[in-house]
Amino acid sequence: MMSLFRSGPPSGEEDDAPFPAGTGLPAEHDPHDPWPGRRAPALETTGLGRRYRGAWALRDCSLAVPAGRVAAVVGPNGAGKTTLLRTAVGLLAPTTGQVRVFGRPAGESPAGIAFLAQGKPLYPGFRVREMLRFGRGLNPRWDEEAARRRLAGLGIPLERRVGSLSGGQRTQVALTLALAKQPDLLVLDEPLADLDPLARHDVMRSLMEAVAETGLSVLLSSHVVSELEGACDWLLVVNGGRVQVSGDIDDLLTGHRVLTGPAEAADALAARLPVISREETGRQATLLVRAAASPPDPRWSSRPAPLEEIVLAYLRSPGLSSLPRPSLTPAR
Amino acid sequence: MLWLTWRQHRAQILVTGGLLLALGLLLLVSGLRAGAYAAEHAPPGCPGPAAACLEVNTALYEDFYNPVYLVFGLLPFLGSGLIGAFWGAPVLAAEFERGTATLAWTQSVSVGRWLAVKLAVLGAVVVTAALALSAMIGLWLTVFRDALGDRRFHDGVFSMVGVVPAAWWLFAFMLGAAAGTFFRRTLAAMAVTVAVIALTVPVVFFSRDAYAEPDRTVTAEWSALFNGDGKVVGQAWVDPAGRERPDRPSGVCPPPSGVPAQSERAQTLVEECLIGKGYRMAVYHHPPSRFWRFQWTETGILLTAALVLGGLTAVRTLRRRS
Repeated sequence: MMSLFRSGPPSGEEDDAPFPAGTGLPAEHDPHDPWPGRRAPALETTGLGRRYRGAWALRDCSLAVPAGRVAAVVGPNGAGKTTLLRTAVGLLAPTTGQVRVFGRPAGESPAGIAFLAQGKPLYPGFRVREMLRFGRGLNPRWDEEAARRRLAGLGIPLERRVGSLSGGQRTQVALTLALAKQPDLLVLDEPLADLDPLARHDVMRSLMEAVAETGLSVLLSSHVVSELEGACDWLLVVNGGRVQVSGDIDDLLTGHRVLTGPAEAADALAARLPVISREETGRQATLLVRAAASPPDPRWSSRPAPLEEIVLAYLRSPGLSSLPRPSLTPAR
Repeated sequence: MLWLTWRQHRAQILVTGGLLLALGLLLLVSGLRAGAYAAEHAPPGCPGPAAACLEVNTALYEDFYNPVYLVFGLLPFLGSGLIGAFWGAPVLAAEFERGTATLAWTQSVSVGRWLAVKLAVLGAVVVTAALALSAMIGLWLTVFRDALGDRRFHDGVFSMVGVVPAAWWLFAFMLGAAAGTFFRRTLAAMAVTVAVIALTVPVVFFSRDAYAEPDRTVTAEWSALFNGDGKVVGQAWVDPAGRERPDRPSGVCPPPSGVPAQSERAQTLVEECLIGKGYRMAVYHHPPSRFWRFQWTETGILLTAALVLGGLTAVRTLRRRS
């Protein structure tokens, strides 16, 4: 069976755990904590920018993902997803602005963050057993027993060389390493990109089990929205180096509607509601609007907007954004 | 970290250890055979500087010393090149190339510590290996000391003995590591490392004479200096008035008749004639007592370079720009 990692959130005794379980209070006074008395966000950026040789990969990015969430970072290729994730784990220093993880500058407490990089890099010549030893030697919070149990449950032999594993198995080994570290925040960069559908399902299921057992926060990037629905409860849309949407997925779903009605009435409607996308076919117009309820006008029929449609609509209109929380925007 | 360093680089460590063992065996066999030959063939009092020993001395040189020396004479370049390419270059370049740098640097160990352990441990192993090799060569040379004199200060031998090999290898290692931060591909870092070493070796080799102001000795018996244990830098003729001239004076002594003018015998006769007329040879040389001064000078230069390269590697790795 699948593993049982840490039975609860990190305890207050561990130096690297920023907060004790459940209490919502900091274990000790943390001068970096912007919200003393509340659990700091898993990830918070202010004015974050990163430039490579004159070109901005990420610019003016301010967002906050609450602790305990499974956040999906979506956007087209080259949008800046990887840059955002790498600054969060401290691999990249920001050019401008700040990144905080649980209230501390990124990279300051590496023990609390686990990172699964794109392509799931592992040492190809190592045996699986040696990869575990690598993790054990470099991480004080390492849970060897859980890691072994997890690999046994997946049927991955410890004596196999990493280079001879299948893509799905490699991902599972990398995920095992990340989870055995007992992180408070797990960051995964395109973890499903090179997997077949079955392996994608297995990996997501393993991840969700770990989240359910430990309550860890997850930040997960992908360019395929459909595979994240149902697994994630927070959405970040990154487009052209900027963050366009950051919000609770349920709030986004209830906060957006697809309206269909007569084309001649569309302008009047657009004057009253924020329109994300607009399509007209002959006399009929279809609008994706930011609104919680249907308009009173009976000429308009209304249906809830699926997540993928919302994401695509924002990506097609890079000038529009939904920040910080769509539920706070006027609903009428 | 220690285990990781060993596990990632054990191939290099084992191959280098094996090569050292093989070279040690070669030296041991050569030394033993040369000793046995001398014991069997040398007249009483030989090998030594006496004229009677010329034959056995020559045999020791030609048959035992020179073949092995030709192999080891490549070491300053070949050894450094191999260390730089196979020990230094992969340390960072391979991690970047395979993407495992992101794996290693997102564990609970800081990047600074990761780098410090890797460079320090591997650097220490490289230095130990070089010192072991230089000690073995030093022991092997003692077999030939009676026959050939102390050759440690000679051009080709100097960088195989003492502490200089360790400095060369450490320099090569750090050069490879630094190249890895610039090129991020193992093969490119290897190529650049070897190329830079290929440039550095001759530069250092030819600047060695300048480590100290050479002594000037004016003598009629210069062959003793040339065949001695010191390091000869240059020579010139001095006429009876004390003026120095770079070429052998012509027109003073006519070429001897009955001997081909270009032969060695003719040269010797002319030189003997010049000495008889009051000419002398001025020899610029470093006496053998300067051996260790030269060793530490070269070591200092190379260690400084290694330190600079190590600092460069650290700065580029810690800047977090991957």
